[in-house]
Amino acid sequence: MPPSSSSSFTRPSRQSDYARFSPTTPIVIDNGGSTFRIGWAGESDPRITFRNVVQRPRHKATGDAVTLVGDQDPALMKYFDCTRTSYRSPFDCNVVYQFEIMEYVLDYGFECLGANSEVNHPILMTECICNPLSSRSKMAELLFETYGAPSIAFGVDAIFSYKLNQQYGRCYEDGLTVCSGFSTSHVIPIVQGEPVTKACCRTNIGGFHITDYLKQLLSLKHPQHISNITWEKAEELKMEHCYVAQDFTSELQQFQKGNEDAKEKTRCWQLPWVAPTQGEVPSEEELTRRAALKEKQGQRLRDMAAARRSLRITELENELNGLENLSQQLDEVDEHDVSSILAGTKFYSRQEIESNIIRLTQSLRKAKGEPIEVEEKNDASLLEKYPLASVPDEMLTPEQLKEKKKQIFLKTTSEGRLLAKQKRLEEESIRERQNQLDEEKRLENPELYLEQMHARYRELCERVEQRKKPKTNGNHNLLGGVGRGERLTAAQKERMRLLTSAAFDRGKGEDTFGARDEDWQLYKLMSKDNDDDDNSLDEEEAELARVTCRLQDIDPNFVPRSDLVPIPGGTTEFQKFRPQTAEDFQIILDVERFKCPEVLFQPNMIGIDQAGLDEMAGISLRRLPSVDDSLKAEMSKSVLVTGGCALLPGLLPRLEAGIRQLRPYLSPLKVVRASDPVLDAWRGASRYANSPHFTLQTISIQDYYEKGESLLRQYQMKYTI
Amino acid sequence: MEPEVASSEMVLPVVLPFKRVQMSDKYPKGQSRGRQWKHLKQILQAENYASLPADEPNYLSIESPPSMYPSKKYCDITGFEAHYVDPRTTLRYANPGVFKRIRGLTDDQIQRYLALRNAVIVLR
Repeated sequence: MPPSSSSSFTRPSRQSDYARFSPTTPIVIDNGGSTFRIGWAGESDPRITFRNVVQRPRHKATGDAVTLVGDQDPALMKYFDCTRTSYRSPFDCNVVYQFEIMEYVLDYGFECLGANSEVNHPILMTECICNPLSSRSKMAELLFETYGAPSIAFGVDAIFSYKLNQQYGRCYEDGLTVCSGFSTSHVIPIVQGEPVTKACCRTNIGGFHITDYLKQLLSLKHPQHISNITWEKAEELKMEHCYVAQDFTSELQQFQKGNEDAKEKTRCWQLPWVAPTQGEVPSEEELTRRAALKEKQGQRLRDMAAARRSLRITELENELNGLENLSQQLDEVDEHDVSSILAGTKFYSRQEIESNIIRLTQSLRKAKGEPIEVEEKNDASLLEKYPLASVPDEMLTPEQLKEKKKQIFLKTTSEGRLLAKQKRLEEESIRERQNQLDEEKRLENPELYLEQMHARYRELCERVEQRKKPKTNGNHNLLGGVGRGERLTAAQKERMRLLTSAAFDRGKGEDTFGARDEDWQLYKLMSKDNDDDDNSLDEEEAELARVTCRLQDIDPNFVPRSDLVPIPGGTTEFQKFRPQTAEDFQIILDVERFKCPEVLFQPNMIGIDQAGLDEMAGISLRRLPSVDDSLKAEMSKSVLVTGGCALLPGLLPRLEAGIRQLRPYLSPLKVVRASDPVLDAWRGASRYANSPHFTLQTISIQDYYEKGESLLRQYQMKYTI
Repeated sequence: MEPEVASSEMVLPVVLPFKRVQMSDKYPKGQSRGRQWKHLKQILQAENYASLPADEPNYLSIESPPSMYPSKKYCDITGFEAHYVDPRTTLRYANPGVFKRIRGLTDDQIQRYLALRNAVIVLR
């Protein structure tokens, strides 16, 4: 499949011959769910065609909201901010409901047609069959009052298409038209040239649903490429590659078995990608060179650190010397001069100088890397520092009491700190000893040790998994409510038991829980959110992490299970190791090719509980009021398939087979496709509007003002003129 | 307005010569107009087809009924015929390999698969 090119589109060009047409020439509009077509009556093709959508982004430079109708040139869209806007359609299903958007669309249509003064041509517009009155009347109001049309007419697009094909000779006066449009599909029986609206049948499935289904399926199958699978792209894929299977079940089985035919039918869409520039696996010299480089760098860093350290040591020594000199000076000198000398320096008393000297000596020692002496003075000085702590209360004044409280507090905190430090030291020494023992064990019998470690690892894994399973079970199901005997943890069971017993204890009549304050104490009995489980789970997880690290160190072949314990850095490297190939960027269309259009025949696949196309034909024939079998046989000889979805390859044989199942054995049946399923509706309407009796079928503006809605309610177009 | 945007004539002009009432007058700026348009369901309700004579065809009467044939069940993940249903998630699957994948799906993906079939139960 060639790489996807950006969809080429052409903007409709402005027509310049508006003034050339006399005021009696009708303008023909095919207001379709997907495209809007407008042109002059009597011509063979619509002048203007564009997608029936509107978006209102903000122009970045000026900040105003502007209106853009239809598809736009992607290169120019960068001038607009489209973040908060989306495509909006005037349709809801196949009925126009948003007349503001309809007005934008009509504005654009008329403007492109070249209208410069009032639109004083009759307008023929298409609508859906059995259009609700409010929609029709709002449309009439729009056309009459805003655009000033002198007369309008409404018709159904499928029937125009049928009439056209009847003139071409592809179908006959009595027949059935199967029109599969954008959002709906209709089956309309035609008897003696006129549609039998009562027997019409409509299913709310159309091209939109096929495209949407395809888009969702591909997004779910390839979630990493979800941004590439846009609506427009899905439509392109649908039009290029989707087909209707003649027999859905056997086609599925072909794919399930993986036949040769299935492989041929699979299509592959290659997304653009760039191979990561990864050099080949480095060779030996490369590795040694890198190792040497690292060594050199390490050595350089070490040298720098040593230089810094020596610098600091010399600094400290200098300072220390200075301070010692100062204290010596103070010793030798008299009392009076002390204060003057002290004023020169930044110290306030001799004690300060001395304490600074002690501090400096200690930091000097640390910098040199010698062990620090443990502060033994703590035990002795504790009592000295807090002299008031031991004195009983009665003997103190109030201020001294306050002092005492402060000192007691300080004493207890420093005692606590000492205790904690001691405990830590003890624990560390124990661990050191254990590690040493471990190492010895390992050195003496490596294989046995390894086996034991593996066994421990497996055991821990199992236990952690087991603990985790009920937890996640509970979490999964809390969305839908706990019930049907899902495995509850002990805490959840306890909670349920407490609640139900509280409810039942009151008696079956009333529920007076909460009337008394003690009732709420119930909630204190319940554990909050599986606290206990968490604690024990954490210990086991920590142990699992330790064992995993150990195993990683010793055993080169060990690969930890990443789902149980998050291993920092380990697994991500492992996954990135697998280089991304071109296949990661391919989107495969195999079953989707024929599964999406199948929605037309089996709407149940997307949850719409209605009949499919073939069944609809049978329903429509059944709904025909008091018609004999010969007429039905006649109608079956002229079944016309029209509408956008008729372009799907394989639709006709499938529909024929489907209708044949409903008709009596060996009764005549002929299914044809319209000559141009997409444009025939407009062409038929154009021919209709061109005929001399067209004016009899229109509603004039005077009638509208006189009779108003009742006229619109009764309005029914006659198609044979 | 950038020159290329203006020359391409992509923006709909605000004032059009053939209109009797311009958009800006009809829909004054600043009001949100989306809510004033009734959706199809509301339109049909307002039409009140029950009061009209029953034999005249209307939008609702031509709707097709549910299918007469029992629906075939297809696997939600692969699309093949599904003979089995996962009790936990109610997804349909065709073979044990697919079942394993289903059990590995996240909640969000499960909901999206069910939404494809219009089978999501939304608790509001």
